Amino acid sequence: MSASEVSFNRKIISEDLSNVEFDTSEDVEVIPTFDSMGLRDELLRGIYTYGFEKPSAIQQRSILPIVKGRDVIAQAQSGTGKTATFSISILQSLDTTLRETQVLVLSPTRELATQIQKVILALGDFMNVQCHACIGGTNLGEDIRKLDYGQHVVSGTPGRVFDMIKRRVLRTRSIKMLVLDEADEMLNKGFKEQIYDVYRYLPPATQVVLISATLPHEILEMTSKFMTDPIRILVKRDELTLEGIKQFFVAVEREEWKFDTLCDLYDTLTITQAVIFCNTKRKVDWLTQKMQEANFTVSSMHGDMPQKERDNIMKEFRSGQSRVLITTDVWARGIDVQQVSLVINYDLPNNRELYIHRIGRSGRFGRKGVAINFVKSDDIRILRDIEQYYSTQIDEMPMNVADLI
Amino acid sequence: MMNENSKKIIFNKSMLLSLKAELLKKQEEVLEQKQLPQKKLENFKPPLSKNKHVDNCSEKSKTSFKDKLKAVDTEELEACRKAKLALERKTELYEHLSDNAGNSQLAGRFLVDFKTKKQEQVVENIENSHDEDEATLLIQDDQNEWTEFTDCLGRTRKCLKSDLELYKKRDKDLLRAVNKDAPYTEVEDEDKHDASTNTKEKPFLVQKTNDYLLSLRQKWEEKERDLLAKDKDIHYQDLLFDEARIHGVGYYSFSTDETERRNQMEELMKRRQETLKAQQDAEEVRKKRDALMAARVAAARARQRARAGLPPEDPKENEEDFTTRLMEFLTQQKNEADAKAKEEEKKIREEQEKERQKLREAYIREWDLGKEGVDDKVKKFREMSQEEYVDQQRDKRIEEFAPPQGSNSNKSNYSFDSTGRMVNLETNTPIEKSWSDVRPRVKTPPPPTIGDVTEQKGLYFSTVKKPEHSVKYRNFIKAQEEVTQIVNELDEHNDGEDQTSRPGKRTHETKHTEIAPPPTYDYYGPTPKHLKYEKPFDSDIREAYAQGSKSLETKTSNRQLPKHYDFTFD
Repeated sequence: MSASEVSFNRKIISEDLSNVEFDTSEDVEVIPTFDSMGLRDELLRGIYTYGFEKPSAIQQRSILPIVKGRDVIAQAQSGTGKTATFSISILQSLDTTLRETQVLVLSPTRELATQIQKVILALGDFMNVQCHACIGGTNLGEDIRKLDYGQHVVSGTPGRVFDMIKRRVLRTRSIKMLVLDEADEMLNKGFKEQIYDVYRYLPPATQVVLISATLPHEILEMTSKFMTDPIRILVKRDELTLEGIKQFFVAVEREEWKFDTLCDLYDTLTITQAVIFCNTKRKVDWLTQKMQEANFTVSSMHGDMPQKERDNIMKEFRSGQSRVLITTDVWARGIDVQQVSLVINYDLPNNRELYIHRIGRSGRFGRKGVAINFVKSDDIRILRDIEQYYSTQIDEMPMNVADLI
Repeated sequence: MMNENSKKIIFNKSMLLSLKAELLKKQEEVLEQKQLPQKKLENFKPPLSKNKHVDNCSEKSKTSFKDKLKAVDTEELEACRKAKLALERKTELYEHLSDNAGNSQLAGRFLVDFKTKKQEQVVENIENSHDEDEATLLIQDDQNEWTEFTDCLGRTRKCLKSDLELYKKRDKDLLRAVNKDAPYTEVEDEDKHDASTNTKEKPFLVQKTNDYLLSLRQKWEEKERDLLAKDKDIHYQDLLFDEARIHGVGYYSFSTDETERRNQMEELMKRRQETLKAQQDAEEVRKKRDALMAARVAAARARQRARAGLPPEDPKENEEDFTTRLMEFLTQQKNEADAKAKEEEKKIREEQEKERQKLREAYIREWDLGKEGVDDKVKKFREMSQEEYVDQQRDKRIEEFAPPQGSNSNKSNYSFDSTGRMVNLETNTPIEKSWSDVRPRVKTPPPPTIGDVTEQKGLYFSTVKKPEHSVKYRNFIKAQEEVTQIVNELDEHNDGEDQTSRPGKRTHETKHTEIAPPPTYDYYGPTPKHLKYEKPFDSDIREAYAQGSKSLETKTSNRQLPKHYDFTFD
């Protein structure tokens, strides 16, 4: 009779989805051109000037359901235009005459939130849309002022956004859509609580859109808690790696040899732009210092740096001033720099999802890319596991790797 | 060795002569240059580059960083870097070739024969050592005549011993002149030294790159400050920060100034309208021209036919037209039918969609619970307690089918807890077999099932069948759906050993017409050993007996049953 008993009862009743296979929803319409999507003229112009000509597979399928107001779970390979997918949908469903926050986009890193803001502004350039990046590490007062000024869309990280909501600076009453980019990361242990906190302030039955390249089963299982009959557009995991990204490994016997290998590869790195992933911030610092001592020009970025410095490094890398970036997994998800064609996993990632995201920093939107994994002898097993899991091929690095970039 | 033949340089006397002539000419030119007045030491002025630098320094304090930006020419820097890279590559190649001395695969591609060159070098080295000996000798010879000194600019100069005094005096004049030109160079230098103590050791190019980056950073920072300074709309252009992104062909870089931007936008719109209008006009003109052309062609053909004495074209055209028209008609009919079917399908879909939408609206997310406006919605779906449910079902019941009433109360003798389990049972009968355990657990509110075109699906459909549920249903619902056989329970004793094979046999038998047993069967038929009822659920018969007897015991001990209900024999 007690409350706990009742809740226990409910728990039993709620369906056990652990052995349910989630599939792409039936009757998902495929629309082959932007023109036939019924988008507004200014938005179409923005899309074309940004460089999109034909919608990618994910764009063909998910823009319309989102515009229609349905909850959508969209999965697509890295660099196939997921950010643009929800950005276009957001812009289509905005009422620009209403100067209030109508859409909230949450993402795991500040850089990604800023990037999304940029994409939304670019696509909506002809619509005069206002989008604010509400991220940590910036001046609170300025954040408040910007929000008071009136923003149609807020793209932010959960911590600062929640803070702004609690201060009642970010008013939620007009919010009609919540987008979780990199949804699996956002609903993981570290972030889920924060997402819940933000969600509690949104009007009930707000449209929710989940987007990611990787959507593990346990994430799909919990979506019914905050989504209503979502349309799912999913990718089988053996189709998750892109043909355009060639994957290789270099076997090193000892950790120390990785550095020498990296130095040998330096000329290859600088052909276009390259990102080197380490597993810890300390290792990033160490490797950067060592590379610089050996007279190689590299820049580095990780979460312990002040935001100002992070911003500057990002700008330098985006403008092509720096060509080699040593970083942590803060850079693993979503960051889009067209010229990056080489990713090096100095350390193998800690999980399979991160592998997909890391190598996805190269080969953006149909471009070629190369991923090189440094593996110690005991790491090869892990790499083989990844290879098998995604039904992909990771060969030993050939001598002419530079030709592939 | 094979290469040597190919690398022989062919020359003749005339070439040698012309070379010699060239050499002489150059030597003469140099001499002439030396004689020119501006090359003389008296007229020496500090190097230009230094002057420039000083000027820059003096201006630096006043100019903003924007001017500084201009000073650092990007293109020049880029060119510099490229040149350096090329040179480095070249030296590398050269070293590689000379080290390998013709063994390299690349050697065949160059005119220089590195193998012989290396051998010559060895010889030369030996010769050189001789030369050096001679040179030292020479110096020793000349020692009385020539001497060296270092001037104020740090250059090593050589002069006749006799002239040394004179040169030293000139040097002092030079130093004074330099100092006069730049009274505070030293201070500036020191400042600069402070600023770039660590960069000083770095190569010039690296330092320059760093400077450039620094200036870029400053520029960005300024821009950001501008963005934050005033309340204004922010556009893509404001955030670009020199990003090297490839845009679409139609990309237009708007101004960051708001009014300018608006003007540009207007201009763009105007242009677009113009383009559209021009396109439309062109299309109209084209159509007109086509029509005109067609008319002319028709007229020409008619004339031709008239000349040939043939009747005008029309009837034949009509004939042709008939088949085409028929085809047209048919296709039109088909299309119409298709459209109709499609529309119907669409209608059905829409209806289904509407239904689904209703269900969606009714659905309450777990995370929404407790939000404003959600709670009253929830109440509609309040979960009934077991007692309430039982009461409701009782109300619906036809009285005839009610179980015989208890002696004094028409209320249930049993009460249930929230899980539907019986409580206040005096005896210790195992609770596992209670009704609530056996009934299918249905969620209240039940998961909404939404009709789909092909199959029945809930909002959260699953592609995997749940074995638990189907097992439970088999006892109750599914069994009814199947054709239930009439099982002659009484037949059991006839074929005791044949029991296992019976079910198969039975299904076979059902194919024949079934004849109901005669009404007298009950009376005349074989007497049953045990009367068996269809079990609503699987349970151990012995356990059931035990339970039954136990409950009877408790009943007898507790209260008096009506006479016709009393089966106990005491």
